[in-house]
Amino acid sequence: MSAPHDTSDLLSPALLARLERLELVSRKIFRGRFKGERRSRRKGQSVEFADFRTYVPGDDLRFLDWNLFARLDKLFLRLFLEEEDLHFYALIDASTSMDFGEPTKLHYAKQLAAALGFVGLVRADRVKVEALSGARRASGPVLRGRRSLWRMLEYLDGLQPGADETNAPLAEKIRNFVLRHRGKGILVLMTDLMDKQGYEPALRMLLAQQMDLYLVHILSPEELQPDIQGDLRLVDAEDGDVTEVTVSRPLLDRYRKTLGAFVQGAREYCTRRGMAYMLASTAVPVEDVVTKYLRQRGLVR
Amino acid sequence: MNLLNTLTWWQWAWLGAVPVAIVLLYFLKLKRQPLEVPSTYLWSRTIEDLHVNSIWQRLRRNLLLFLQLLVILLLAAALLRPGWRGTQWIDHRLIILIDNSASMSATDEPPNRLAAAKARALALIDQMASGDVGMVISFSDTAQTQSFTESRRALRRQIEAIVPTNRSTDIREALRAAAGLANPGLTRLENQQAVNESLPATMYIFSDGAFPAVPDFPLGNLNPVFFPIGRPATENLAIVAFATDRNPEHPERMQAFVSVANFGREPATVVLELLLDDQSLDMVELTIHAGDQAGWQFDLPDLDEAVLKAVLHHDDALMLDNAAYAAINRPRLARVLVVSSSNEWLRTALSTDQVRLIADVTFAEPELLADAAHQAAAAAGAYDLVIYDRCQPAQLPLANTLFLGSLPPGEAWKSGPPGGPPTIIDIDRTHPLSQLVDMSSVLIAEGRPLQPPTGSAVLFDSVAGPMLAIAPREEFEDAVLGFPLLVEAQGETVQNTNWPRRPSFPVFLYNAVRYLGGSRGVSTVASVAPGNPITLRAPAHVQSLAVKNPRGEIRRLERTGQAPFAYTDTQELGVYQVQEGQLDPITQRFVVNLFDPRESNLQLQSNLELGHEAVAGQASPEPTRHELWKWLLVAGLVVLVFEWYVYNRRVYL
Repeated sequence: MSAPHDTSDLLSPALLARLERLELVSRKIFRGRFKGERRSRRKGQSVEFADFRTYVPGDDLRFLDWNLFARLDKLFLRLFLEEEDLHFYALIDASTSMDFGEPTKLHYAKQLAAALGFVGLVRADRVKVEALSGARRASGPVLRGRRSLWRMLEYLDGLQPGADETNAPLAEKIRNFVLRHRGKGILVLMTDLMDKQGYEPALRMLLAQQMDLYLVHILSPEELQPDIQGDLRLVDAEDGDVTEVTVSRPLLDRYRKTLGAFVQGAREYCTRRGMAYMLASTAVPVEDVVTKYLRQRGLVR
Repeated sequence: MNLLNTLTWWQWAWLGAVPVAIVLLYFLKLKRQPLEVPSTYLWSRTIEDLHVNSIWQRLRRNLLLFLQLLVILLLAAALLRPGWRGTQWIDHRLIILIDNSASMSATDEPPNRLAAAKARALALIDQMASGDVGMVISFSDTAQTQSFTESRRALRRQIEAIVPTNRSTDIREALRAAAGLANPGLTRLENQQAVNESLPATMYIFSDGAFPAVPDFPLGNLNPVFFPIGRPATENLAIVAFATDRNPEHPERMQAFVSVANFGREPATVVLELLLDDQSLDMVELTIHAGDQAGWQFDLPDLDEAVLKAVLHHDDALMLDNAAYAAINRPRLARVLVVSSSNEWLRTALSTDQVRLIADVTFAEPELLADAAHQAAAAAGAYDLVIYDRCQPAQLPLANTLFLGSLPPGEAWKSGPPGGPPTIIDIDRTHPLSQLVDMSSVLIAEGRPLQPPTGSAVLFDSVAGPMLAIAPREEFEDAVLGFPLLVEAQGETVQNTNWPRRPSFPVFLYNAVRYLGGSRGVSTVASVAPGNPITLRAPAHVQSLAVKNPRGEIRRLERTGQAPFAYTDTQELGVYQVQEGQLDPITQRFVVNLFDPRESNLQLQSNLELGHEAVAGQASPEPTRHELWKWLLVAGLVVLVFEWYVYNRRVYL
């Protein structure tokens, strides 16, 4: 299978090289379905010794330390560090509103998802990349192993903004995801949070899952520093809603203030609930985001 | 607060269309550029809090509309020129002097100067605050004074009641009236304050300043403010003299002399027309240099009686002085009876041309006095004057009398014993009978000092006593000379005096015929200035006169005593006709002419000299009006700037 033509578009070889040295970190203990390459905090079955503890009836006799019983005539249980795999979810908001900016926010999200997914694939984690959609059947591929990189990129390439009910409200899309994925793991949500019904219900639903949550809030420079003039009728790309504005300096100031409040509100909402929040401007290269910012946030190391 | 409209109705209509257009333009929605954005979420939240209060929001949404309408409203209000009267001229006590002399009829200030003066005075009244008192004095050569009043309505009525006169101007009487109210009493008693409290007052003079300066008048508490009325350089031509007389070279002919003055600053050529009984008689074109006078002499035929009118055909500001009148009266001869026994001196002196022009003299012998027909005629007033030379009637006639060397019958007149020589030492030169009579070289041999009745006047006084006296008798007068001209001595008639040889004798007799005979010569009547009284002479038997003024109004004059008739109602310019009795024909005329260069000179005086100070004319006598339009315009500009600010700052829509 030849490399997809847009591999370098989403992930440059240089970035791939840098990403190979990284791994995903979970702040919580997860239980994977397969033994993974990572040490879990759970004590389990592995070759790596962790600790002893006294036997209590019901424990697996296989883990009794017979040597110690022989020497001390007491029953001790040998505990081993369990190595397990990690469930990594990269959720992309593929609504029409993401199709703006240069590069588009959606493309940016794809890049980010590809980069993080690659990190997970390299470390043999269970990676699932999915575009949020209101449709039940829509589901991204479950990937594992470096060889799945191409499938992941293929899937990402196939994502079209606004297609397949991706313009449904965020809360509905999240619920749709949550219903299908009960597992634990790391979840990175890449969205612009532009939902007129508010992002809070959607995030609350995610918080109910015991996942390690990361929110990458992607905004384009056009949204952060709008450069528009005159009397305009602003048309919402998703629902066609119209807002008439006469652009003036005070209005832009007020917009910036509103934006600041919006970003700050989202940041506070996430921080208070143990969710990692990161604002990403599409002007910042994905490499920097992954290798610097997310590293600082502790998602990768 | 009042308004001055500055636009016509159609201009207002245009202005009224502007706000309608503004509102209409607002109904046309602003065309906006569509722009697709990722989400209007933030934008709608940005403008969300501006939509909190919908009513206020709607107002704010239309704030620009309201501001633009407000600008238009302010402009319209500015165009209405709202304002209110200023008050800086007003003192709490004001005396308004309004000139209503002849020159105030000039039309250089339309409609005329007096109307302009009244309008400005009324404007002044409008500024009076409550509690202010005012007084109106109208003046020409006399002053009409009204009392101080607080009532503005009364003051307005008084001002509106002022009518123009044809009189000349003399402000002194008006000043005295004003000063009497403002200054402490001039005749103040010892240790006693002035009766009326005198308070300072401001005196507003509305005049053209055409009156002599009053340098010696103490103004005291009066604070004069002068408002010159009229245009500074007003041209005027006037007839300043018009007289008729006998042509000295041809005594049978008359001539008229007219003098025209140019009070303007440009030379003028005018046509002067002479009318005789309203028929054009002659016409001449005169060129008069600025500030100069020109005269013209018209030759007239011999006229018994006539009304002459000189008309200046020139359209100038003052028409009053462009016409002048002269009247020639039919000579009315006095009927004089001389009762004398062959007194040749008397006959000679009463037969001069001068006497013949004014009197019809009849000579008679003393025997006539006994004639019954004569007595009846004398009692019926057939004569105007009877001269008794050394004789005495049984009863005084109904006529004036002159007794020469004898006494009137009755007890009234007495005389002392004969004595002499009674040298004349004093003459009453003011009496018409004795004026121009020089008795210095007259020798008198013998005379009897007179004891005239009470009420008489002594005309000649001698070392012995009164030698000529005149006393009233009902409506007549009796004059008595205390010495005879001739005396009987030793059967011969000899001269008692050399008076008949002196020039003063015919003069005396001429005076007697003229005064006691009540006659008028052929000569024309002197012109009277408007408002001045005129003395009308009539024969002694005439009890009443009817005077018809130029407007046709008839006024009756009744004789009081022997005094001549005095007619004072000479306001109108023109010819006055006098009738004796009821239905008699017109016996005489007199004329009233302006003939006042000061009134005809319409050059405006910018300063007055009152008291010891020069009162400068107020350059802007119009009371200042506090205008509001400038502030309204400034407010409009401020609103416009604010509107521009809002337009740029607006963060909604």
